[in-house]
Amino acid sequence: MKKVSIVGSGNVGVNSAFFIAETAAAHVTLVDIKEGISAGKALDLMEAAPIRRYRTKIDGSDDIAAIAGSDVVVIAAGLIRAPGRDRAEHFEENAETARQISASIVEHAPDAVVIVAIEPIDAMVKVVREATGFDRKRVIGVGGILDSTRMAHYVAEELGVSPRDVNAMVIGSHTNRMVPLPFYTRINGVEVGQLLDAEAVGRIVEETRKAGDIIVDLAKRANAFYAPSAAIAAIVEAICIDLGLIRSVSVNLEGEYGLEDVAVSVPCKLGEGGVQEIVELALNEETRQALAVSAEPVRALFQA
Amino acid sequence: MKKVSIIGAGHVGATCAYYVAEKNIADIVLVDIVEGMPQAKGMDFCQAAPLRQYGVGVKGTNDYADIADSDVVIITAGVPRKPGMDRMDLLKINTEIVKTAARNCAEYAPNSTIIVVSNPLDIMCMVALDASGFALRRVFGMAGILDSTRFRWFVAEKLGVSVYNVQAMVMGGHGDTMVPLPRFTTVNGIPITELMSAADVEELSDRTRNGGAEIVKYLKTGSAFYAPAASAAEMAEAVLTDEKRIQPCAAYLRGEYGHEAIYLGVPVLIGANGVEKVIELDLSMEEKAMLDNSVDAVNEGLKALRTFYTMR
Repeated sequence: MKKVSIVGSGNVGVNSAFFIAETAAAHVTLVDIKEGISAGKALDLMEAAPIRRYRTKIDGSDDIAAIAGSDVVVIAAGLIRAPGRDRAEHFEENAETARQISASIVEHAPDAVVIVAIEPIDAMVKVVREATGFDRKRVIGVGGILDSTRMAHYVAEELGVSPRDVNAMVIGSHTNRMVPLPFYTRINGVEVGQLLDAEAVGRIVEETRKAGDIIVDLAKRANAFYAPSAAIAAIVEAICIDLGLIRSVSVNLEGEYGLEDVAVSVPCKLGEGGVQEIVELALNEETRQALAVSAEPVRALFQA
Repeated sequence: MKKVSIIGAGHVGATCAYYVAEKNIADIVLVDIVEGMPQAKGMDFCQAAPLRQYGVGVKGTNDYADIADSDVVIITAGVPRKPGMDRMDLLKINTEIVKTAARNCAEYAPNSTIIVVSNPLDIMCMVALDASGFALRRVFGMAGILDSTRFRWFVAEKLGVSVYNVQAMVMGGHGDTMVPLPRFTTVNGIPITELMSAADVEELSDRTRNGGAEIVKYLKTGSAFYAPAASAAEMAEAVLTDEKRIQPCAAYLRGEYGHEAIYLGVPVLIGANGVEKVIELDLSMEEKAMLDNSVDAVNEGLKALRTFYTMR
């Protein structure tokens, strides 16, 4: 059985552990600097196992050395934004946290694939890649996959159809300049534009851009964590059982889509070893431009 | 608890019972004319339940009265195709079997939705509709989901990607004139036409058209049942849970796509009321021509049916 470690036992970390347990793809180790929290959450999850019937083992530790031998490490630590604030609010502090965790990964789990779930996602992919020195295919940001599942939800809701039949595609940075792609948003293969008029599609695109903000505003304090955790678990499953799953995730680009040395989400084939392939969509000039614009706020963080 | 009755406890029927049982959404009744066989399979299913952890009951019977008050009836009964045997060869035998099943639905489960699986599918749907006297939306056939899941597997296998990623749309009659639609066949939303050569797309479309025959050729004395059973279970689930799936099924057309008084594979919205809507896609001239060609093939079958069967 593969081993996944999750650094950060907050809502995102613990719910990821829960969803991963239910996929049965890997054993999970939760790690947090806050004393006792990881062991407590892990014990609670194990006590649910007889009812939920997962065989996955989950343990917790205050010591980062517990990540030793991990196949995947999820970075789910860091400060979260306040309502009305930007995802980049805590860039400097979170970059420092990400660097410290990266150093521990290099020391204790040098062969791991790293899943980055610390905001701002795309910038942190670059930070972690540089701090670990890992090949870019082993540093994956939870960006477009989350925006895509949110868009799929809005499409299913608008059409009144099962979410099982909806597949949406959002690429670009995990900011309000993300690039939802209606042409690649499908209901059992059928383009969303065949089933909804342009006005409804436009509304869904706008809702998707604001989806994260809507939840922060509604919940007042806590950020969204169920959908982000589901996205993390999906990536973990793809890697641990070598699914060859194509999803939009943040990866450092080296010329693909005309972008150089910046991480944004594009469709990638995920399996053992992380990103096995970057899929280059046949985008029109306008969309390529939107993708370049989408990358700007990510670049800007490093130029300040 | 909802109730599903499956007419015909052969490979398709029994495997369908298995897939429905694992969804844990309805009690199941397996009906067959062979004495003892459905009872044995029902018992066997119940004895697997403690391991597989489904809580629904499975009962086998030779008595149609046991389907009383079913929410869904899946008609799988019929003679299977033999190698070299065209679907049309089955017409007379299976018409009689489906007619009997549908009449019993009308008698014992008058509020049910009928899912037809027996071949030749598009024609058997018409027989079931006529013999049951049910509303149009409550009799539909399993074809497009099966053809699509085959196409999906072929795409996933060819590209080396997860089956989770692949959606497909196959329309038309459930025969070799079916119409796979590559531009509505996608990998995480990306049409396969962007991911493989035109030759590969054509190869997989052809393989889909001959998907049933490919398996018959291997088995020699039988036909596919895992994918067909999974397809029927998926449709039953959508009805039982009012899930509002959009999937291709054989539905009765009343002018949609320019055709009427025919069952044809088209995308439909499936919910508690059966076929709640026929979805009309904007097809290209070429796609429309292929669909029309498929309609001709189904009409040939209907013509053959009328030589010995008089519709009410």
